[in-house]
Amino acid sequence: MSVLSEDDIALAGEYVLGLLDPAEAATAQARAATDAAFAAEVEAWRERLQSMVAGSDEEAPEHVWAGIAATLPVSTGQDKGSGAVRLWQGLTAASLALAAWLGFQNWQQEQAAPPEAPAPMIAALGNESGNAAITARYDAASGELLLTPVSLDTGKLYPELWIIPADGVARSLGMMKVDGPTLVTVRTDLRPHMAQDSLLAITPEPQGGAPGGKATGPVIASGKMTTI
Amino acid sequence: MSASDNSSSLDDARRARLTEALVRTGQGDRSAFETLYRATSAKLFGVCLRIFPERSEAEEALQDAYLTIWNRAAGFQAGRASPISWLVAVTRNRAIDRLRAGGKARYVPVEEAVDIADPAPRADAQLFAASEDRVLHGCIEGLEPRDAHFIRSAFIGGATYAQLADIEGAPLATVKSRIRRALMRLRACMEGQI
Repeated sequence: MSVLSEDDIALAGEYVLGLLDPAEAATAQARAATDAAFAAEVEAWRERLQSMVAGSDEEAPEHVWAGIAATLPVSTGQDKGSGAVRLWQGLTAASLALAAWLGFQNWQQEQAAPPEAPAPMIAALGNESGNAAITARYDAASGELLLTPVSLDTGKLYPELWIIPADGVARSLGMMKVDGPTLVTVRTDLRPHMAQDSLLAITPEPQGGAPGGKATGPVIASGKMTTI
Repeated sequence: MSASDNSSSLDDARRARLTEALVRTGQGDRSAFETLYRATSAKLFGVCLRIFPERSEAEEALQDAYLTIWNRAAGFQAGRASPISWLVAVTRNRAIDRLRAGGKARYVPVEEAVDIADPAPRADAQLFAASEDRVLHGCIEGLEPRDAHFIRSAFIGGATYAQLADIEGAPLATVKSRIRRALMRLRACMEGQI
């Protein structure tokens, strides 16, 4: 475990307080997924601050549970029990090596790679607990980005994908589906940003995307791109 | 502190029970989810009411929070986080998202801060949590009032740095460094008392 500086400790506090902007929050979230010392400080801040909102218990009216029960999927084990989902749920951003290997296997199966083709890039987008929410594979030759949701929940809103390169500015790559893979052809002017260590992030947005191209929702999943 | 000694085994047992219910919820077990709801909904409704004083809004936020918990329970890492702090964090974050989406982020006024610091009678199971409350509130009271308001407005009101700077009429960098210093003081105070 790394030793945290005072800046890191304050950053973990700012992250838990929700003060960071979406790009900073995504970076902090990605760090918590890979840096155990930072993750422990985030958890410590949660424990320190939670009694600011918890502590005055109040019995919830019965109709709340009825509403929740009515919204749950009818049969259990459909989404949550399938082998593929279970496998990916265990994937943390720290196990990018596994993602890389799986991505490489898929890629090998799908095409006989011409020798000059650039290596594909992958990213595992982790949720706030560090588990994979989405896997992404980018082919720089075609500009195609394949997004596969693993465990993604945006409530009544829709997931919008952003690329955040080293300059920290989030640029929209468009909307994705929650119930199956989405193939995005990245706009040519955005392709230079699809680079090693650029951050892919998801925010929940209204149908059709964030108004004015500015994210309105919090980052619910993020991960760095890496070459396999 | 003797209160925490007396209630620590009770607290451990409660934590183990909640951990099991949460892990089983992550495996799609609806009865475990209902057990989890029965054991935690009063606490989490309290969280929602803190953020949405209007009851009907708090009820919607609570329902939304539990659906998020159902969907994300598989991501709970039992070895790394306490089930209650995970549940409170998911509920608080979800409620703040709703608050911000509705354009209702707010600056938490002084009167509310005093109300929060006032300890109410509590059930036995909350004794341990109550002692933690006193430490947090004692340490927040020890900060400069403006810093205490910043921290409360962010955590309870969903205020961002930009909004706080706007309210304060101060440059963003000034507000940011004030809050960072206040956070470090808060942490030092709490570490010294637990």
